[in-house]
Amino acid sequence: MPIEIPKDKWNGKVRTINLGATAAEGGTRAKVITVGGETSMPYLHFEAPTPNTPLIAVEIKSRKPTDWSPLLAEAWGEAMNNPAAWAKAAEAAGAEMLILWLTLEDTPADAVSAVKAVLAASGLPLAVFGPGQAEKDNDLMVAVAEAAKGERLLLGICEDKNYRTIVATAMANGHLVNARTPMDVNLAKQLNILITDMGLPADRIIMDPTVGALGYGIEYGYSVMERLRLAALQGDSMTQFPMLVTVGFEAWKAKESKVGEGVPASWGKWEARAINWEITTATALIESGASIVVLRHPESVKRVKAAISELMTA
Amino acid sequence: MTFDLVFMNHTITFTLDEKQTTVNVPTGTLLSDAAHLAGIEIGQPCGGQGRCGRCAVQVLSGNVRRRSTLRLSPEALEQGFALACQSIVEGDAAIHVPQQEKIERNLTTDRVAAEVQVPDGYAFEWSQPIRRATVHLNPPTMDDQTDDWSRLQTALRTQHQLENTTASLALLRRLGEILRASEWQISVIYSNIGSYEAPLFQILDIRQLEDLDDPVYAAAIDIGTTTVSLWLVDLISGQVKAQVAEYNSQIARGEDVISRIIYTGKSGGSADLQQRVVETINRLTEAACKRAKTRPENVIKAIIAGNSTMIHLLLGIPAASIRLSPFITAVNHPPILASREIGFNFCPDAIIDCLPGVASYVGADITAGVLSSGLDTAEDITLFIDVGTNGEIVFGNRDWLVTCACSAGPAFEGAGVVDGMRATTGAIEEVWINGETFEPSLRVIGGKKAKGICGSGLISLIAEMFLTGLLDKAGNVNLTLPTNRVRAGDHGGEYVVAWGAETETGRDVVITRVDVDNLLRAKAAIYAGFSMLAEQVGMTLEDVQQMYIGGSFGKYINVEKAVQIGLLPDLAWDKFKFLGNTAIKGAYLALLDTQQRERVDDIARRMTYIELSADNSFYEAFTSALFLPHTDLFRFPSVEAAILSKVESQRSDS
Repeated sequence: MPIEIPKDKWNGKVRTINLGATAAEGGTRAKVITVGGETSMPYLHFEAPTPNTPLIAVEIKSRKPTDWSPLLAEAWGEAMNNPAAWAKAAEAAGAEMLILWLTLEDTPADAVSAVKAVLAASGLPLAVFGPGQAEKDNDLMVAVAEAAKGERLLLGICEDKNYRTIVATAMANGHLVNARTPMDVNLAKQLNILITDMGLPADRIIMDPTVGALGYGIEYGYSVMERLRLAALQGDSMTQFPMLVTVGFEAWKAKESKVGEGVPASWGKWEARAINWEITTATALIESGASIVVLRHPESVKRVKAAISELMTA
Repeated sequence: MTFDLVFMNHTITFTLDEKQTTVNVPTGTLLSDAAHLAGIEIGQPCGGQGRCGRCAVQVLSGNVRRRSTLRLSPEALEQGFALACQSIVEGDAAIHVPQQEKIERNLTTDRVAAEVQVPDGYAFEWSQPIRRATVHLNPPTMDDQTDDWSRLQTALRTQHQLENTTASLALLRRLGEILRASEWQISVIYSNIGSYEAPLFQILDIRQLEDLDDPVYAAAIDIGTTTVSLWLVDLISGQVKAQVAEYNSQIARGEDVISRIIYTGKSGGSADLQQRVVETINRLTEAACKRAKTRPENVIKAIIAGNSTMIHLLLGIPAASIRLSPFITAVNHPPILASREIGFNFCPDAIIDCLPGVASYVGADITAGVLSSGLDTAEDITLFIDVGTNGEIVFGNRDWLVTCACSAGPAFEGAGVVDGMRATTGAIEEVWINGETFEPSLRVIGGKKAKGICGSGLISLIAEMFLTGLLDKAGNVNLTLPTNRVRAGDHGGEYVVAWGAETETGRDVVITRVDVDNLLRAKAAIYAGFSMLAEQVGMTLEDVQQMYIGGSFGKYINVEKAVQIGLLPDLAWDKFKFLGNTAIKGAYLALLDTQQRERVDDIARRMTYIELSADNSFYEAFTSALFLPHTDLFRFPSVEAAILSKVESQRSDS
């Protein structure tokens, strides 16, 4: 007996967002990439096609990080000393987008030169995130936004504490913002309202709902994302934004990735375990609707990419 | 053997208004208790928990041990300030008590009180269980040595067919004197405490002979956390003879019910609170009786409404379980009591009838409010809120009633807000802000210099700041606007409502980011309560056909502003009805008519109580209401339209 699979029909649609600008659009990127546009829950191809493949972004830092796992230092080697070299290595490893994360030690001039070096080294669309301290972020991001005018950078971290400055500079210089809220549907929606109220066009917002790694609250982040997508499909225009998740940042904080010694033998090999932690977190969150996953390890990039291509063709 | 700790006694000298008072107290005495002994009442709005900082006193000489200085600034500490509720006597000391914020007795006079209509068809004989009988006794003689009580019983039997009569010991003690003083011609007030079939008549009072149309006095009382109201009623005509109100003197021991419950945990705390509210009511009774030219001991009955905590505190019943999960009262429906058991100055046998409550946070003030608002007989689907420290909400009509309580906190009464105050002289009660200059126009109660901002002022201030862009939808103060009234303060961004030169204290009156947050939380709690009740019965707030707003605070709320901040649902203005103090009106109706009194019992039984803390959905509704006016803008179409028209007019200007 043939079984008919019931199909949901939704009114809402996730906005289609373009990242990066080529010379034609007033930037210097090699190409523009597009995310969003979904009209169904993730990867239900029988209901609606998934118009855009989720993106893998690789996280690089303006200075060599001192608190990263030795496994990551080993993987990236010398490239980590220099953001331009790191950007090239990331692109070679399969990154489709780069996230340059600035540090508290950076001055606005440091930040601008790091951004310029990365833009020169790679043609991938770029996101630039401040160190996450509202005042410092404001200082750095205003300088960066002005210096890279027209590139359609994704600027972060835009939170309710400092959204005004980041949004104003994004508006003035033709960039996008990464709207970050702490794992709550209402807060995510509220920040999007505040940002659009300032007059930033809605096609220049990416939502960052904050997630937890596998074993560290992933279910909570997963269900917030799922509910955001459901609200978007039901027609709530202030949740119809593609989502970015900082998987590498979360997964490499987990004890299972961080600690190589003094753990039970049954945990297996450290490197494999750490990479698996990042991959498992990433693939789960992609299935709950993430459009951009930010990763740290080159091996994770390769394997998550394989998982994405299976999802897209399944 | 008892081991006597030898405590030294110390001399503490208090100075207040240049008057010195000295007391001797042992080591370890709290300064606030020492002050109490010296006859000085230091207000403790937080109930003596060291949280509010309002009981700060200055130590001029000597030493005290400060257990907590959390609410004192380093400068204040340097100047010797200490919290009276947190500081302990360790030696002789001289203490300066700063001017206390006066709790003004805000007596409602009959001139400003609303005229109260006696219900149609009221008739003493039909509506009252109380009767007054004229009794002529023959004085005892050497030949007729019947005792006083039997003499009275016999006369009641033969003259009024009252077969079964009883009296309290208190009455028996007074009996002989009254009979003789009135020369054996008396009026007897009594009430049937038995059944209709087997009556038992309790003698409540015996008086010198009264005319048939002389008043029989009774009282309707509402014990609010902040204000106690009393109506003196003549049961013969049904008329209200005097309306009086006064701040509940328990305020000095905590501003909200939780602080007061905490205070009952202190030694003597429960008795102190009980005595305070009884004294408040006795003072009110005296004032009302004076106006009606009678005496408190002529009051024969009182119906009392009040939230569950207030009723517990009045009766001296432990209230601790009200505060703790699973939030259970000791009694929702107290039995009928006699005045003397509580300590009122009424007739000792006066009937004290506390109306029934529903739950810990939906008390007799609400059941009385439902009665007087007529919600329980309404055809239209009605949302009723009593706005006070707690927001109690009832939703329904004549077929069903659901209720919940949301802890809005005292923000709308001015607490938890830097320059917040109660609605008394000097309070800013309404604010308008110019959208271009960001300059405010203020209306101040009493027309004097501003001292602070009261609840209605805060609502209007937040609405105006929001509509003029001084606040964004999350309540952030926009510091980029071209006005020197916005600035970064110690508590985040702030807006200067009145410059120091225009205020009574000489300090700027401001509203800070933290204040806005507190107010947003209060309004979000109330709105979330509305949404939850509607959701529980499968409806939305759009289904509401009329909205009743009770509570004295409700009278002064500007509906438009309250909708703009998302405190009240976005309904057409003609759907809002302000009812004032619905609790005392309900107590009045129940006092007049036994059927109405029974209806309150019925209302209490019918109301389904929804405990909002039982699951996460309240939190969800709360966070989405924690925005101006709400995260779901479609719930507030009129506000959205107002914002849009503002934006468009600004665009066309530029």
